[in-house]
Amino acid sequence: MALEVSHVVGGYSQIPVLKDISFDVKDGELVGLIGLNGAGKSTTINHVIGLLTPHQGTITLNGVTIDQDSQAYKQQIAYIPETPVLYQELTLREHLEVTMMAYDLDHEKAWATAHKLLKTFRLDNKLDWFPANFSKGMKQKVMIVCAFLTPAKLFIIDEPFLGLDPLAVNDLLNLIEERKRQGASILMSTHVLDTAQRYCDRFVLLHDGQVKTEGTLSELQAALPEAGESLNDIYLSMTKVDRS
Amino acid sequence: MTGLFKTRLQRHLREMAKYLRLVFNDFFVFALLFFLGGLGLGYSNVLKQLHGHEWWAPLVALLVLTIVAQIGRLATLIEDADRVFLLPKERAMHAYLVAARRYSQVIAQATQVIAIFLLSPFLAVTLGWSVTPVLLLLVAQVALKDALLRMDLASAYQVTGQARMNRWPIKWALSLLVLACGLWITPLVAVILAIVADIAVAVWFQQHWQTQQIRWREQIKIEDNRMLGIYRFFNMFTEVPMLSGTIKRRRYLDGIFHLIKPTHEQTYLYLFSRGMARGTEFSGLIVRLTVIGMLLLYFIRGEWLPVILAALFIYLIGFQLLPFFHQYDDIVFTHVYPVAAAQRLKSFVTLMTLILSVTAVLLWIVVVLANQQLLPAVVTLIVEALEVWYLARIYTPQRLKRSAENRA
Repeated sequence: MALEVSHVVGGYSQIPVLKDISFDVKDGELVGLIGLNGAGKSTTINHVIGLLTPHQGTITLNGVTIDQDSQAYKQQIAYIPETPVLYQELTLREHLEVTMMAYDLDHEKAWATAHKLLKTFRLDNKLDWFPANFSKGMKQKVMIVCAFLTPAKLFIIDEPFLGLDPLAVNDLLNLIEERKRQGASILMSTHVLDTAQRYCDRFVLLHDGQVKTEGTLSELQAALPEAGESLNDIYLSMTKVDRS
Repeated sequence: MTGLFKTRLQRHLREMAKYLRLVFNDFFVFALLFFLGGLGLGYSNVLKQLHGHEWWAPLVALLVLTIVAQIGRLATLIEDADRVFLLPKERAMHAYLVAARRYSQVIAQATQVIAIFLLSPFLAVTLGWSVTPVLLLLVAQVALKDALLRMDLASAYQVTGQARMNRWPIKWALSLLVLACGLWITPLVAVILAIVADIAVAVWFQQHWQTQQIRWREQIKIEDNRMLGIYRFFNMFTEVPMLSGTIKRRRYLDGIFHLIKPTHEQTYLYLFSRGMARGTEFSGLIVRLTVIGMLLLYFIRGEWLPVILAALFIYLIGFQLLPFFHQYDDIVFTHVYPVAAAQRLKSFVTLMTLILSVTAVLLWIVVVLANQQLLPAVVTLIVEALEVWYLARIYTPQRLKRSAENRA
C-alpha cells in the first residue's frame, strides 16, 4: 500500500473543501483522480504533497506521515503541477541540478537519466535557456523531466494532457508505464477521460469534495449498470444525479 | 474611444498622484529646494563669468535643446489585453491615439517651455539675444516637439512599413537641423522649418492611417517600457508592487557559482545565490547602496563618522535583503523538495554573511584610503565584523523564524 488517504477533511481555510475523503494507491498502480472543476482534485493533491495540512484524517506514504518525518515523506514524492512553475533565474541545466541536489541523487547517474529524458522531450539543445524563453508546453516538459529524474515511489501528476503535443503525451504515458513496472505508484488527476480510461488501473471519482465512487472500470460499470460503457458516460451520469 | 482614454487617464493620474505624494514628502521637498537653490546660484555665477561672444555657446545651446526635444514620450496608456479586446475597434482607435497625443503634449511642451525659459539668460549673455528671438526659438522648439510626437503617433501604425519614422537617428537629425538653423542663421528659419516638418508629417499621416493596421505588440511593449521607467523612478523612493525586476544571465559570475558544491546541503545556497545575483531587484539594491556608501565614505573624514556610516550602510543592505528569503515561497517546489526548512534557513544565513562581508570589506577599503590613519581603520573593521556577525548569524535567523511562524 503506497499511498493511503484516510478520512481526510481539509481545504484552504477553515471551511472544508474535502469532506471525509478516503482512497489508496497501491504499488505499481496508476490511479486516476477524476472530477469537475472545483470538485476538489487539486485540493486533494495539495494535501498529499504536504502543502496543506488536513483538519482531520491522515495521509500515509509507505508507512510514514509527513508529521512523523517530513523529509522521508517528501523524498518519496515527485510532483508535476498543472501549471508549470519554474525558477525564473535558473537555466534548464540548473533546474535539473537543483532537483538532483534536493533529492540527494548521484549526479553522474542522474545526468545519464536526464540526458535520455531531455532527448525524448527534445529539450537536449536547450540546457542553457531561461524559463522565460520556453513555451508553455516546453515548461511542462521541463516539469516532467525534473520529476522523472528522481527515483520517487509516488508520482503525482496534475492534469498532464493539456498543453502537451501528442508525441509528448505518448512519451509521458510510456514513462509512466516504465515506472509502474518498476513498482512506482502514480496518482494522476485529469479531465481527459478517454485517455484516462485506457491507461488508469483504477479511478477515484470526486464530486463536491466527496469520493462518489472508486474502483476499476469494470467495477464502476457493475455499480452503475444503466450509466453506459465508457468512463465518460459513467462520470456524466454520476454528476447528473446531483444536478437534477 | 476618447471616453476610454479619459477613463484610463484619470486612473493613471490617480496612480501617479499617489506615488508623487510618497516621493515628494516634506524631507525630500526640503532637500530638493536646497539642491535647486544651489544649482541656480551656480548657474548665475557661471553667467557672470561669461563675457559674450563665446564660440561654444551655440553648441551648448544646440546640445541642450536637442536633448530636451527628446524628452516627453507618447503616452498611449495601451494595455496588453487591448490587442484582444480592442482589435475589432481598430479604426476607432485613431481617436484614442489622437487623444493620447494631446495628453502627451502637456508634459512634453511644458518641458520645452521651461527649458527655453531657463536657457534664455544664457542666450542673452552669450549671443546677445533680445526677447523676440528667444520667443521665436520657443515657437520653433514647440513646433519641433509637436512634429516629433506626431512621428511617434504615425509610427504606431504600419504606414511606414517595417521602417519606423520615429527611430532616434531621424528624430535627432531633425532636431539638430532645425535648432542649428535657429541658432546660427536666425530663429525665424527654425520656426519655418519646424512648422513645415510638422505639417508634412501631419498631411502624410492623414492620407495613410486609414488603410493601415496598428502595431499592437510594439505599442504595448513601448508603453510597458515607459511605465517601467516611471515605476523604476518611483521605486527609488518607495515600494512599487508592479516592479518585479528583470533577469540577467551574468555569465561572468559562473566561476563564483561553481564554488558552491552540488551537494544536498547546498541546494538552497545554489538556488538563492543565483536568484539573488541574476535578478536585478536585489542585486541592484546591493550594488546601488554599496556604491553610494563608498562614494560617501570617500568624502567623509573623521574619527567616528566613517565608522557610523559604514555600519549604517551594512545595516541598510542587510535589512533589505531579508524579504528575499520568501522570494520562492510561491513556487510549489520550495515546499515539495525533501530539504529541511532548517537547511534552507542555514543556506540563507550563509549567503547573507557572504554578501555583507564583501560589502563590509569594500567599505572598509574606502575608509582606509580616505583617512589613512590607524585608529579609524581598526575601529571600522572591528565594528563591521561584529555587525555582520550579529546581523547575519543572530538577527536574520531569529527574525525569519518569527515571520515563518506568523505565516503559518
